[in-house]
Amino acid sequence: MNVIKKLKEALEKSEHWTEIRYHHRQQTSIEIKNGEVSKVEDSTLAGVGVRCLVNGCWGFAATADMSEEALAKAVREAASAARVGSTLRKKKIEKIAEGEMAQGEYIYADEGDDVQLKEKIDRFLNAEELIRNKEDIISGIVNYSKYNDKKIILNTEGTQAEVKDIKHDIGVVAVGNNGTSQEVGSVSAGVTGGWNDLFAEKSMMEMVEEAVNIARTKLEAEYAQGGEYTVILDPMLVGVLAHEAIGHTVEADFVMSGSIVQDKIGEKVASEKVTMIDDGNVEKTAGMTLVDDEGTVAQKTTIIEDGILNEYLHNRESAAEFAVKPKGNARAFTYRDEPLIRMTNTYIEEGDSSFEEMVSEIDNGYYLKGLGQGGQADANAEFMFGVQEAYKIEDGQITDPVKGITISGQAFNVLNSVDAVGDDLRFALGRGYCGKGQLAKVDAGGPHLRCKVTIGGKQEGDVQ
Amino acid sequence: MDEIKFANNIVSKAKEMDIDDVEVFYNSSKNLDVVWEKGDLQIPKTDLYQGFGIRVFKDGSTGFSSSNILNEEEAEKVLKRAIEIAEVTPSDESNVLPKKDEIDYVEDIVDERNDDIKLVNAVEKGKEFVESFLNYDKRVKLDSANFSTRLSKRAIVNSKGIEAVEEKTVFESMAMAFAREGENVSSFDLSFQTACKLSELNLKEEAEELAEKVVNSLDAESVESFEGSVILSPFSVLSVLASPLNFAVNGENVINGISPWTDKIGEEVAIPELSVIDDAHIAGGVGSRSFDREGVSSERLDIIKDGKLTNFLHNSYTAHKMDSESTGHAGGGAQSKPGVSPSNFIIDGGDKNLEEIIKDTDKGILVNRFSGNADPVSGDFSGVVKGGKYIENGEIVKSVKGVMIAGNVYKLLKNISAMTKKKQFIHNFRLPHVRFEDVSITGE
Repeated sequence: MNVIKKLKEALEKSEHWTEIRYHHRQQTSIEIKNGEVSKVEDSTLAGVGVRCLVNGCWGFAATADMSEEALAKAVREAASAARVGSTLRKKKIEKIAEGEMAQGEYIYADEGDDVQLKEKIDRFLNAEELIRNKEDIISGIVNYSKYNDKKIILNTEGTQAEVKDIKHDIGVVAVGNNGTSQEVGSVSAGVTGGWNDLFAEKSMMEMVEEAVNIARTKLEAEYAQGGEYTVILDPMLVGVLAHEAIGHTVEADFVMSGSIVQDKIGEKVASEKVTMIDDGNVEKTAGMTLVDDEGTVAQKTTIIEDGILNEYLHNRESAAEFAVKPKGNARAFTYRDEPLIRMTNTYIEEGDSSFEEMVSEIDNGYYLKGLGQGGQADANAEFMFGVQEAYKIEDGQITDPVKGITISGQAFNVLNSVDAVGDDLRFALGRGYCGKGQLAKVDAGGPHLRCKVTIGGKQEGDVQ
Repeated sequence: MDEIKFANNIVSKAKEMDIDDVEVFYNSSKNLDVVWEKGDLQIPKTDLYQGFGIRVFKDGSTGFSSSNILNEEEAEKVLKRAIEIAEVTPSDESNVLPKKDEIDYVEDIVDERNDDIKLVNAVEKGKEFVESFLNYDKRVKLDSANFSTRLSKRAIVNSKGIEAVEEKTVFESMAMAFAREGENVSSFDLSFQTACKLSELNLKEEAEELAEKVVNSLDAESVESFEGSVILSPFSVLSVLASPLNFAVNGENVINGISPWTDKIGEEVAIPELSVIDDAHIAGGVGSRSFDREGVSSERLDIIKDGKLTNFLHNSYTAHKMDSESTGHAGGGAQSKPGVSPSNFIIDGGDKNLEEIIKDTDKGILVNRFSGNADPVSGDFSGVVKGGKYIENGEIVKSVKGVMIAGNVYKLLKNISAMTKKKQFIHNFRLPHVRFEDVSITGE
């Protein structure tokens, strides 16, 4: 029987506000390590997530069983979970806001240029071999994933949307070792779209070269001196800062639990050169979200406009609370997950400084590229990120590479210190996933930014 | 449903096809999750997942495919897809299936009362937890809290005669919190408890400890840079020490050459007092399992004994690569082919309590939570100390902020000066407080 018909029947039996979301995901993963195919997997994960709103409280139940009885049971379970919850929830949900609700089909899933599994395996094996054959490189890894997602979202308000998209991502890693130290170089890409889109910015060979160069450069690099410096952040680090350190603090659920930007709408939070956006509509990006998992059509959110905090990110519940319209930030990773407020593509808008200009005006600073190991930020926007690749800037020139750098600070202070915004916007999170209890495919980026951060490097007397 | 029968059916079908061997792994999990955010109950959730994964072996190649749609037609489709993948994947002589093994079942990993625990009980447990926290002090703010129950079942059948099934229950409580007094916001801190039996969780105690910790870190001050002792809490031991160790001894990382300890078996890697053990057979252990993802019986394994590296964790594939035997550490669920994962991972050897260690510290920092990165390949770690305490002459002098620590974990293993006997259970890790010497501490 037709899936939509089954879902509709289950929905019709519900006595409460109910949303039914069917999600069928086929995921293909390939991993090549050291000349061997360490993983080729194909998995299907399909099922239905049901959310009910009863007496001002949500309830959620998920099932993979698509029988009429199982669907009816899931609806009942979600309703009873909500009913139980409502007896304890202090603050009742009085209403949920309505943005532009999706109706009909939303498809971004052209597979015309996809290649056979065997060809993918062969190309990745070839790439990994190239990495490993380079001098001072002892190990290579290529990781690839493809998500083929089909969703049907229905609710008792009459929303009925079918959403299909395909996402690919790839990561290329080179592990260098010169006998005295070991360093990793990593490059990745992620898109919503076709196979060729994945290599639109960098070809497979360019990724290989870059990963190898990063690892080798770090092998030769010295440790940096800690302290506060004027730096240039590359689009990936700008993206990480925008997403991880700023973006999470403007998610309305974090705002309501007391994040640093609570009650700060309309206040200056960054240099007037900074405008920060979240937008699920940016084509081809990994965070592209045509319709969110509450059925809201994606729209652009201007989080910071010319340095002034302008909007938070919402789901339908929080949007009602703040008397605004939701713009498509309620996302769930699989059918088993309830929609949460998530980012999509988060970025800083481009400015008008050229990269050369920005470098030429720094006497003593660093050019920092890419996220290294780890990164973390708190609701007070304090962050700490590992930096993958770093170079000194001395007297307006990029000079020696340095390694082992972490940057830390308070993200809004960093944005306040921005004195030049590059003219080279790029989405650069690559194989980026955001974790907030559940995963989400996201992207983030921006142009090169010049700002001040605290660099944690090595000190004299460090244990070697 | 009868998982063994379902799996046996697939194995029988596969045997009629042109393949050498087959393995069917099934797992299910029934979860209840209750989440608090903004100090209020969020969405109570129930979820039943059931799925299976098929691994086929053909001419030295393997193919893996999985699905959570449980019917015969889908099973056939998944089997065919696995065979197709095997056919386009290069062969590798280490693609082997383990033989039938005697299984010694672990005790006390199922809470017999689990069937009686309904969502309403879970919600009430969560309420007890959250209210104990919020009632402690009006400055405490809850970022999130979570109480969850999980009943999981794993079953495995392979064409070499392995057939096994096991259930386990796991209860967890977690909270992430901070304190706020006007513009003064403390750093985030977290608490965590886990057990196979609900009666073993003490939610009130956990909540009050967390509240006390965040309130105490409100008026944090900065310190000047110095080199001294660092006492890591079990949470920070997890990120700085246990995670890199777990990485270094994981057979997959060893065969891939990214473990820094690839050729260090038998060598001294830590102080002689330190032992690291993986023990799958602890009665009531949340990481316990009677057999691994390949049906191999999981035993207690010495990883580091008296400071010397003794064993890596292996599944059949990684073991074969090193001319060794599986240690029963094939990990993962039905949605992917076996990886390598620890069971109960224990850092052992300490004989002190935390008070003694503090008293015995001249100048140092107690790190409650570490927010930073620890690169398991090089061992370099660097990050911000959260909820830190400055210690001078054996006493906690003040709470500190803006402090960063950096070092190399593999080198610091030989610079451990004390460990507590008492360990905290964090997921499947059992970790003590650990004090290192000569760490660079960057203040303001």
